[in-house]
Amino acid sequence: MAKLILTFNKQVIKEYPFAKDSVTMGRQEDNTIVIDNLAVSGYHAKIDKVGGEYILTDLQSTNGTFVNEEKVVSHKLSHGDNIGIGKHVILFVATEKEKLEGEGKDRKLPLDKTMLLDTAKQRELLAKQKIVPSVAKIPEKIGVVSFIDDSGLGEIELTKKLTKIGKAETSEIKLSGFLMGATAATISRRPSGYAISFAGGMTKLKVNGSVVRDSVPLKDFDTIELGSYKFQFYQKEVKSA
Amino acid sequence: MLIKSSGMTDVGLQREGNEDSFSVQDAFGLYMVADGMGGHLAGEVASRVAVEIITKSFGKWSEIQAPPDEIFGFPDESLSWQGNYILGSIRLANRVIYEMASEYEQYNGMGTTIVSLLVASGLVVAANVGDSRMYLVRDNRIERMSKDHTIVAEHVEMGVMTEEEAARSPLRHILTRNLGSSENVDAEVFEIEPSSEDLFILCSDGLTDLATDEEILKIALKESDPQKMSRRLIDLALERGAHDNTTVVTVFLDHVEKKRGTSFGGKLGGVVADALTGVNRIKRRLGL
Repeated sequence: MAKLILTFNKQVIKEYPFAKDSVTMGRQEDNTIVIDNLAVSGYHAKIDKVGGEYILTDLQSTNGTFVNEEKVVSHKLSHGDNIGIGKHVILFVATEKEKLEGEGKDRKLPLDKTMLLDTAKQRELLAKQKIVPSVAKIPEKIGVVSFIDDSGLGEIELTKKLTKIGKAETSEIKLSGFLMGATAATISRRPSGYAISFAGGMTKLKVNGSVVRDSVPLKDFDTIELGSYKFQFYQKEVKSA
Repeated sequence: MLIKSSGMTDVGLQREGNEDSFSVQDAFGLYMVADGMGGHLAGEVASRVAVEIITKSFGKWSEIQAPPDEIFGFPDESLSWQGNYILGSIRLANRVIYEMASEYEQYNGMGTTIVSLLVASGLVVAANVGDSRMYLVRDNRIERMSKDHTIVAEHVEMGVMTEEEAARSPLRHILTRNLGSSENVDAEVFEIEPSSEDLFILCSDGLTDLATDEEILKIALKESDPQKMSRRLIDLALERGAHDNTTVVTVFLDHVEKKRGTSFGGKLGGVVADALTGVNRIKRRLGL
């Protein structure tokens, strides 16, 4: 089934499967895709499934309907087309079968072929509409360790992908102690989140009271002990620049 | 540290050519898988160029110990110098493929993914662009060390799609980043501390399209020879129809040293350690 992906500022807001033969877009509540924005007309545009084709029609909207940055009145949609309505962009995604037909029958394209999303056009369109494109991302978080002993080290942000903790001068978090390892432990930021690993030395690493010999994932407010040092881990949102 | 590794690729059952490239270099501790795209051999060229450029620039910068601010692009302060060499090498490979693709008609629209693993003393650097993956198998668990650059992966991260939905979505092959299609690209880079018995698996989507993380783990835990493991993973893709080229690189680490010594010198540290184990032994004997 073909689908429509509603985006705003390059953030995906919602996906709509093309379940009916006609889809309408606009500010009024009874549209299939309701876009609550003053730049959007009550009934702004519609897409009709005609045979195997999808036809986009502008419903005489005030601010117009765009396909890949060109103003259109009526347009036959192809896979990957960007429909611009006000400041929103709707990505049209055809099914594999429809895509093949759209590409022309003489060219045999393998199914499951990897393709690159053509965001260049989308970016240009967004630039023309004076919207600063922001990469679709959930709020970035950064790990912090907060010392709860009497070392007076306070809070330290984990700005490195791999934070070394120990006695060595090159450690990001420098701790002292006779038995402290040059690198006693490391905290790494991985695709799944933060994890702490024992790295060496005679000082035991404990997380929530249990000795760690290899590595464990870190959760917010886990308590970490290294010799006489005691600190808590948590994550906070980074203010985007 | 002891490294055992293996790399293997198979054209699969439906494609005519193999657009994947891989590289296994135990001397550098550098391992890569690249999955090219773009017809008429262009995909094959893109993936091979990526692997070659990264190998050369990483080798060169390591050899002359280039200062991080003299490599390609701005250094990333959150990374080690090795991490920056890898990041810079990937940026450079992207630029070269991009220039080739815009300069020559036959290379128009070519691109490639890349996933690379660097194993150094006390440091492992994982980097990727696109949907070729790296897994870490440690303590009988499997963990991704790469981040897919696909629309569906972004949806999963935003919480609007589950992993299962993503694996079935028709959008799963649409990349949001690759090497070659824009002037600049940034790789996802992760750094961790290596540990004995760590196993890294690098692979193209020919495998991950047909096997779940758990299925890959199951095979990884049964096999200890890297050659056999790569073979079994590729066989799994073949058994399931192998609609795409499939490439697997497996890297085993062993005897990774966790330094016992403290900063007042290894020797003295050793003496203290011996003394302490002695004390502990006496304590135990006395039942303390």
